[in-house]
Amino acid sequence: MNDPQQPRLTPIDEWEDEAAAMLDGVEYDTDLGLRMARDAIRVSNGELSDAEFHEKYHEELLAEFGEDERPTKPEGFDDD
Amino acid sequence: MTNYGLVIDQERCIGCQACAVSCKQENNVPMGQFWNRVLTEGGDKIDTPSGGYPEDGGSGSLDMEYQPTACQHCENAPCVKVCPVNATYTRDDGIVEIDYDKCIGCRYCMAACPYNARVFNWDEPEQMPEEGTGDVAARPQGVVEKCTFCSHRVDEGLDPACVVNCPADARIFGDLDDEGSTVSKYINEYETDQLLEDRGTNPKTHYLSGEMSPGRPQTSDKMESELDDVSPWSDGAEDVPSDADGSDSSDSGGSPHSIEGDAAPHVPAVGSGGDD
Ligand code: SF4
Ligand code: SF4
Repeated sequence: MNDPQQPRLTPIDEWEDEAAAMLDGVEYDTDLGLRMARDAIRVSNGELSDAEFHEKYHEELLAEFGEDERPTKPEGFDDD
Repeated sequence: MTNYGLVIDQERCIGCQACAVSCKQENNVPMGQFWNRVLTEGGDKIDTPSGGYPEDGGSGSLDMEYQPTACQHCENAPCVKVCPVNATYTRDDGIVEIDYDKCIGCRYCMAACPYNARVFNWDEPEQMPEEGTGDVAARPQGVVEKCTFCSHRVDEGLDPACVVNCPADARIFGDLDDEGSTVSKYINEYETDQLLEDRGTNPKTHYLSGEMSPGRPQTSDKMESELDDVSPWSDGAEDVPSDADGSDSSDSGGSPHSIEGDAAPHVPAVGSGGDD
């Protein structure tokens, strides 16, 4: 039951540890993934707008992945 | 617009794992992975209840509850918002899906999903039998995968495999944007909850508890939108499984999927689903 590979529900206070464990050893920036995960929930519950979220991580994503194809891009956003 | 969702009646669920197994079979889910799990609330282990046996003529306190859990197809899906390459996306009908050709395996979506609904193919996926099962191609090593609401079936007008194969008729799939659909009626008429509501994700899976509903009142492996064409009250009566017309329904004026009337639960007709 406690295999993090399997779907289950995690209380919010344990969730960040689990998220960190999931990203452990990933070829990409672990810290960026964690910060984005945290903020994506803030977007879901209305604390942060899509546009703010997009702008906040755009540069870092370009640097890490060479692209940023997220659907959160605000209209008229300058990609460069 | 169509917006697919699922109601799971936890009063009906008997914890048999049929949904978990049929999901695995239909979607060719590799060994060691599950997209759909029936979690338990009870004792320390998945198969141990809490409480104790009756003693000295008492009634005992054994208790176990079931929490079937898979991707919740969130309206505000954090997994979609973090995917740098747009491999995870929301379809026009609300189903959250992954383009496995685009996925680069960064696992950001896994970290962002509060429901732990995603699994990662660490190794080359192994299928049993080797050629795989069901109707979906295997996903490669290094990508994330999860429940799709059986979008390949939905696209063909069929309910998800877990819905069709639930022997307790506890799973009801349909269009949340259609006021007349059974899922909408159930959400309006019964007490339903979404998981982890505080995250604001607005899941499209709704859990019904407190009062048992009639369950999935469907008579075949067809989606309910198609049932209008095969209901006993339409011209296509010959398509109706023989167990569906036992009641005197000709004057009810309802449909086989209305909550009231003759929506008594039943076991779906054997053999009508072909390969599920
Ligand atoms: S349950 Fe998880 S994987 Fe499914 S849509 Fe919600 S955040 Fe994404
Ligand atoms: S693991 Fe794949 S689907 Fe998930 S965020 Fe990364 S690229 Fe997108």
